[in-house]
Amino acid sequence: MDFIACDIVIPGKLVRFLEHHANVAFAGTRDSDLVPFGHRVSGWRVGADHRTITFLFPDEFRARLLESLQQNGALAVTLEEFPSHETYQFKGRFVRHREIQDADLENVDRIRQRFVKSLRPMYPHAPEDVLKRFVSPPSLAVDFEVLEIFLQTPGPGAGTRLVPPMDQ
Amino acid sequence: MTRLPPEIRPVLDNGTPAVMVTCSADGTPNTTVISQVYYVDETHAALSFQFFSKTIRNVRENPRAFVCVFDMAGQAHWALQLAFERSETEGPIFDAMEMQIEAIASMTGMSGIFKLRAADIYRVLSVEKVPHAD
Repeated sequence: MDFIACDIVIPGKLVRFLEHHANVAFAGTRDSDLVPFGHRVSGWRVGADHRTITFLFPDEFRARLLESLQQNGALAVTLEEFPSHETYQFKGRFVRHREIQDADLENVDRIRQRFVKSLRPMYPHAPEDVLKRFVSPPSLAVDFEVLEIFLQTPGPGAGTRLVPPMDQ
Repeated sequence: MTRLPPEIRPVLDNGTPAVMVTCSADGTPNTTVISQVYYVDETHAALSFQFFSKTIRNVRENPRAFVCVFDMAGQAHWALQLAFERSETEGPIFDAMEMQIEAIASMTGMSGIFKLRAADIYRVLSVEKVPHAD
């Protein structure tokens, strides 16, 4: 990995996006053979310093996730607001992990409600439980240091690095 | 040889976006949403290449890819490990994917933004259905 060494702070606009608008996320890791693997994400919270994000993962593939993070630390997470498709990718380094706390469950519940509300127009007759189950209960919290942020909203600008700016 | 099970076909056809993870040669993972995973045959799937992107550069450097396909009705998702084989810019697979991409773009307000540049063909290395927990 070749990250640029500088102090990254998540811009306020993106903090508001993460805290109030993003409703679905997916994380990518890789193993020592550079084989990529994906993990659903149930919730997230921006750290008070605006330099870290805590991601909450369901139980599936937990051992594989932790092994990859502890081995090489590389993590990329895409967060989207559905159905507007406003999307950003955060890349950075694993800092630490911990078990789930009560506040994490409340966090996931808020995001689950946001997600179900966004899906409802597409699935007007789907039972509430079916839509809610798409966001699984969390099993693991991972603190992550943000090193780069990319625009991923579909369109010609997709892939542009926003933070640090491209000229750095 | 890993084969795609018949029950995955309606999931691939449901129009729900999928998620793809790749990894660069220097070990940086990249995660992106893709519009379409197209069933080619029992051992191959095609992914839509719409924008010149990090994903495309990564699979040319490192052919391994992970794709997650969501099955809302089945309350599960499918985890696929893939290996890039080739890219097609014409022919029946490209034409069929282009037609589906246009339909998806029309339904999601992305007409004029979603445009298929190539159909990237991948060999399926593994496939796993993961039920969603209560």
